[in-house]
Amino acid sequence: MSLIHIENLTKHFKILNRREGLSGAFRDLFSGNYRTVEAVAGISFDIEPGEIVGYIGPNGAGKSTTIKMMTGILKPSGGTLQVNGLVPYDNRIHQAQIMGVVFGQRTQLWWDLPVIESFKILKEIYKVDQKTFDHHMDMFNELVGLKTLYSQQVRTLSLGQRMLCDISASFLHNPQVVFLDEPTIGLDISVKAKIRSVIQELNREHNTTIILTTHDLGDVEALCHRIIIIDKGKILYDGDIKRVHALFGAYRTLKLQIDNFTAATQQTLTGKLTEKFGAEHGITIAETEEFWTDVTIDQARTPLSDVLGFVMSNFAVEDIRIVEISMENVVRKVYDGALA
Amino acid sequence: MKSYLALLRGSYMVGLVYRFGFLFSIGGNLIYMSITYFLWRSIYQNRETLRGLTFNETYIYVALGSAVFILLKTYVDWQMSFDIREGMVATYLIKPIDFQLYELFTSLGFFLMSLSAITIPTILLMVFAFRIEIPLGIGLALFPFSLILAYLLSFCFDYFIGLLGFYTESVWGLSITKEIIITVLSGALIPLQFFPEAIQKILLWLPFQAIYYTPLTMVAQSTLGWETFLPMLGVQLFWVIALFALTRLFYNQAIKVLRISGG
Repeated sequence: MSLIHIENLTKHFKILNRREGLSGAFRDLFSGNYRTVEAVAGISFDIEPGEIVGYIGPNGAGKSTTIKMMTGILKPSGGTLQVNGLVPYDNRIHQAQIMGVVFGQRTQLWWDLPVIESFKILKEIYKVDQKTFDHHMDMFNELVGLKTLYSQQVRTLSLGQRMLCDISASFLHNPQVVFLDEPTIGLDISVKAKIRSVIQELNREHNTTIILTTHDLGDVEALCHRIIIIDKGKILYDGDIKRVHALFGAYRTLKLQIDNFTAATQQTLTGKLTEKFGAEHGITIAETEEFWTDVTIDQARTPLSDVLGFVMSNFAVEDIRIVEISMENVVRKVYDGALA
Repeated sequence: MKSYLALLRGSYMVGLVYRFGFLFSIGGNLIYMSITYFLWRSIYQNRETLRGLTFNETYIYVALGSAVFILLKTYVDWQMSFDIREGMVATYLIKPIDFQLYELFTSLGFFLMSLSAITIPTILLMVFAFRIEIPLGIGLALFPFSLILAYLLSFCFDYFIGLLGFYTESVWGLSITKEIIITVLSGALIPLQFFPEAIQKILLWLPFQAIYYTPLTMVAQSTLGWETFLPMLGVQLFWVIALFALTRLFYNQAIKVLRISGG
């Protein structure tokens, strides 16, 4: 039996339409002009024990809302949702015992107390026996060097340290499923790598199911076997990461700042690139922000270095950046039928 | 139960982190005690008793009242409103604990903190600095129980206002209103005996008097005897059970409108 079973799940919120200005704010006090927002619009999937699933999508796609329904915080508006055979919302206290949750932007640790105190409190809350507690604390110490942080006040931890503590804490009671909501948000590359390896180790230790929401495609690439892409409350793709990998793995975006850039220059650029690399070059060009032109390159078809060399020798390039393809671009490609 | 004691221990430790705030409260309280001392001295200038209360009884009531006032402030309403607005409530709801008891036990740490840092020093000051004789009666022995019940009642009101935070996002105005109603109607500032008779009768039917009037009377007029105090404790207990049950029911309603920012 699957650990999480979701069928046709929906959730809509009623949101007050706020009017402009001071007089608008006063009028809002008396009239309820609500609109309904469909955060989750009928999704279905099953998750098996031990899986690491990447649950991804752009901002406002409905990721956190789904997580909050699975953890029993929010009540679904419709559809079926079962975790370990039970409805989370109706059995919140019982279900909480088998779940661990990390909200990347909030900590569940006690802000004013030394790190170890939070772990002691969690030990009692989840009724973890001393032996398991000691075993897990040793493991966390090996993974993230927790012992050196024991006596530090949580508020004095760096964001990366805090996140490592929070993730450890969510595994303390040996849950069956752990939800990690944006665990790498705002962290630099080296800390991200550390967090990914820790998550992997923790998953291996007890075969814990992990559901990971993230903006960072690197997280997904490093951790997940299966990926669910959601946008506007609907599932766009659910399946093996390998197929999606082709979408973002081979793509790089070359960001260029070109001197005296005009619409005409863009046409010249497009024309010259087509001329040089042929019609099937897999290159798309778009002006995304002021002064910056994005050249997205499918490296399977055209090597990045070739394009770079060509652009550098033909245009007066002021500044240059190479970035991985963004979540928004992946979603756009899925819409365009890239996985169909 | 052990998990809730762990919460209490944690919140007490947080209280210790903010111990300097308590030191200031002691200073402020000392000033208040001096002012009320001279105020009531002059009111009682040529009188033995006022509405059946001696100066000693009134002063114990009022001075202890100010210390108990700080003690019974749970701040649960402010804390909950903040947590709801910031979405922190989510981190409590993912734990296998009862929400009402979570709020109660995390507030108890501050209760213990103010008990040891404010209430007990106030009583000592009263006895040794202001030379007030506290009558040694049965009421004194019942005072701790009454105080605990009073705290639970005060908690229920604050928790109720906190739950309204699920509806309004800001409970500032509600909180102030609640504070004023309780302060005036509970006999926190002056003994109920000083109210007009008709109003006294009404107030005794309301839950507010069980928060301040009951425990303070047990010290100020501690020799009144069992037959007076037992019914008072009974009334307190009744209100505690009733308000705990009512706020639990209300929680089930309020949680339905929960909407945590971000999605």
